[in-house]
Amino acid sequence: MLDEAVRQALVSAVGPGNVISDPVGLRSYECDGLTGFRQVPALVVLPLDTQSVAAAVRVCHEHGVPFVARGAGTGLSGGAMPVADGVVISLQRLRRVLDVDPVDRRAVLEPGVTNLDITKAAAPHGLYYAPDPSSQQVCTIGGNVAENSGGAHCLKYGFTTNHVLAMTVVLPDGEIVTLGGDSGEQLGPDLRGVFLGSEGTLGVVCEITVRLLRVPETVRTLLADFPSVPAAGEVVSDIVAAGIVPAAVEMMDNLAIQAAEKAVGAGYTLDTPAALVVELDGPAAECGEQFEQVKEICDRHGCTRLHIAGDAAERAKIWKGRKAAFAAVGRISADYIVQDGVVPRTRLAEVLDRIAEMGDAAGLRVANVFHAGDGNLHPLVLFDADAGELERAEELSKDIAELCVELGGSLSGEHGIGTDKACSMPRMFGVDDLATMDRVRSAFDPRHLCNPGKLLPTPRLCGERPGVYRPHPLEEAGVIERL
Amino acid sequence: MTTTTPAVLTPTDLRGARDALADTAGAVRIRGTGTAAGWAGSPEPAPTVLDTTGLTGVLAYNPADMTVGVRAGTPVRELQEELAGHGQRLAFDAARVARGATVGGLVATADSGPLALGYGSLRDLMIGATTVLADGTVARSGGHVIKNVAGYDLTKLLHGSYGAFGLLAEVVLRLHPIPAAQRSVRLDCPLSTAAERAAAVLGSALEPVALEWADGSLLVRVEGTPEGTEVRARQLAELTRGSVLSEDAAEAAWARHAELVDSPPEDRAVARIGCRPSRLPGLLGDPAGTGGTGGLGTGIGTVTVAPGDVERTHDAVTAAGGTSVLRQRPAGALRAWGQAPSAVRVLTALKDELDPQGRLCPGRFELWFTSGKALS
Ligand SMILES: Cc1cc2nc3c(=O)[nH]c(=O)nc-3n(C[C@H](O)[C@H](O)[C@H](O)COP(=O)(O)OP(=O)(O)OC[C@H]3O[C@@H](n4cnc5c(N)ncnc54)[C@H](O)[C@@H]3O)c2cc1C
Repeated sequence: MLDEAVRQALVSAVGPGNVISDPVGLRSYECDGLTGFRQVPALVVLPLDTQSVAAAVRVCHEHGVPFVARGAGTGLSGGAMPVADGVVISLQRLRRVLDVDPVDRRAVLEPGVTNLDITKAAAPHGLYYAPDPSSQQVCTIGGNVAENSGGAHCLKYGFTTNHVLAMTVVLPDGEIVTLGGDSGEQLGPDLRGVFLGSEGTLGVVCEITVRLLRVPETVRTLLADFPSVPAAGEVVSDIVAAGIVPAAVEMMDNLAIQAAEKAVGAGYTLDTPAALVVELDGPAAECGEQFEQVKEICDRHGCTRLHIAGDAAERAKIWKGRKAAFAAVGRISADYIVQDGVVPRTRLAEVLDRIAEMGDAAGLRVANVFHAGDGNLHPLVLFDADAGELERAEELSKDIAELCVELGGSLSGEHGIGTDKACSMPRMFGVDDLATMDRVRSAFDPRHLCNPGKLLPTPRLCGERPGVYRPHPLEEAGVIERL
Repeated sequence: MTTTTPAVLTPTDLRGARDALADTAGAVRIRGTGTAAGWAGSPEPAPTVLDTTGLTGVLAYNPADMTVGVRAGTPVRELQEELAGHGQRLAFDAARVARGATVGGLVATADSGPLALGYGSLRDLMIGATTVLADGTVARSGGHVIKNVAGYDLTKLLHGSYGAFGLLAEVVLRLHPIPAAQRSVRLDCPLSTAAERAAAVLGSALEPVALEWADGSLLVRVEGTPEGTEVRARQLAELTRGSVLSEDAAEAAWARHAELVDSPPEDRAVARIGCRPSRLPGLLGDPAGTGGTGGLGTGIGTVTVAPGDVERTHDAVTAAGGTSVLRQRPAGALRAWGQAPSAVRVLTALKDELDPQGRLCPGRFELWFTSGKALS
């Protein structure tokens, strides 16, 4: 329940037409894309400009009311899940493209602009915005900043953090500041970079300046089938060893291929054990040269079918299959969980073996779709909730993420920690690491009102001792040490 | 203020680095090879100097993963030699690398070179860090994989921190393959012409990795395959009306660029500036500055000015919406930083959280951390 005076103050902060308080309306904000975590908020405000965001945040700050920023709600880690008796600040009505500057190759955006709309606005100038999460038609740039989102093309071009120059941020006490600047040159420490990927816990971003890139001269895409997942993995290693930096290298295993093919008919081979999508882009001559090299490498590893996209439509079809893979899994399983973990690329084969073993032991199927170039896995744990498999599936999914850490990787490559993995953080970071992150959070948000309970483990969420830190493999090998 | 010689501590590993901070009290100046000793605000005298030049060596390098973990006192020059043996490099070319600058020092000063156009700066290349805070806390963030969003990215906080938030002890870096070939094009021309031609290059699909004004010439570099770079260099020469340089001439041209950045006359002040790329020529061309260099695609430049013109330079850059900081301070009281950042209050709060006694590297940010407590 929200105190009536607070409610009034929030209404006047954003204007009476920009508030949702009826139970049905509030319910549509109870979760993000990770629907297992739900909490109906006390109030939703939908401010129309930065000043009203700041006014709303100030009210929350003054009255000690927790608040959660929200974009399109496509997050997959429960980051935008509301807090009990708290306020949701939806940025959905802040969706103007404020400026596209073809000379300095940048765009200024309100946070509710969708990822794809940035590229649409830039396209008339031969420019585009590089990070391309699969959810790009709906997810917002504000959410992308908060999650430091990636996409298939991040191997070559980097993540959101590599493309944001500056931001206008409303701090948790309502002050409006600029982080970053007009160039990569910094005025002191890179607060911009600290805010990126902070999952809505350090403030609300209200204006974002992003870099735009020139559309490459050529794009070449191929789809290649392989007799085994390790064979496909070796192709990836050899491409990298040849000094080629592909725009994208995506791998799918048989279950994922079947699902995608059934859903969108992208022309994938139904019975192939593994397939790779490799895309090169850049200057025509070089792209052509390296494309030949990639084809040779595929052949060398027993490629059973090589399909080269002949035109933009064929390329789009190949990508449609890949991008539809998550949702398509719904066709071969009643329910599924999307996991997101990272391993050093050289340990891909090993992690996939271990995942298969763990799936067998749990009696559950796991489909794999992943960004093979940077070792970012998206295992999809298939289960049937009606058959009482939910708990087992959640356990398996969590174990997979923690396995990634054990192999020297990370709990998350792009979906974030949020509510979902906060209790796994002590597997990856020691007590002092987490305490230091908490000090950073306190510097931005001393009252802990800004998306509380997310990202860092709390006793309330995880119990007093939420799992123990396991040494990093390099630590065990005596290469690095923790004191 | 006493002027006794400070105690110099030279740890050689993380444990030693931790002890150096945990077992001392009072102000500490962190020093690497000293290649940026005169940058930003003057360090205040401190009873303890923490010398990082013993913190050297590669900790973990698996070429197939294209990442490397190193102790922060390792000179980048030496690291590059080791990486080159595997056909790899840190895609980073700040001028002072040649003078032996360390990984940690380059991170702490947010330095970068012409390659920033193609690869970004160390903030884009650093994927993990182990830091020792003023109280001896050892904090790790990031990791050994390129893609990683678990927890706050504290590596960014250290980039440009001039040691004020902690001692960078170990760093994990992302690597790139050494390109099979590189070619450069030069046009000797006035700055206004260079600006025009640079805009044409940026509007093309030729993908330069470096595009610089170097006091009288426009320099463009492409990297890639031998044939591909040959084609593109020719196209660039046509587009800029410049000429493709031989390998030796290219090396000499870029060496001169580095010299302009890194070896200015001693009696001059040097300002590093950053702004919208289209505004940089206006600032490089300011009559107060000479011997200027600047990235016409990055908006990052270096100008040399008479000490008396420092204020005017800061003001001009601020008026253009940019950032400026001195990199050489001839004698006399000169303001090192142009404008303070708008979030200076957050920086101060961070300083209070991470170094509540204000021990580390006082002075570098001049008066930003006003709430720092007095030292005993
Ligand atoms: C089918 C599908 C495919 C996906 N594919 C990818 C992918 O390829 N790559 C990838 O990285 N992610 C992917 N995602 C995850 C998700 O789309 C991204 O995390 C995205 O950035 C979330 O944006 P959003 O606008 O939906 O944010 P929300 O879900 O609304 O919020 C996400 C987080 O950001 C915070 N937040 C939102 N707006 C702001 C703001 N203005 N200021 C401060 N904090 C804010 C919220 O508090 C929350 O913590 C996918 C999701 C789905 C459902």
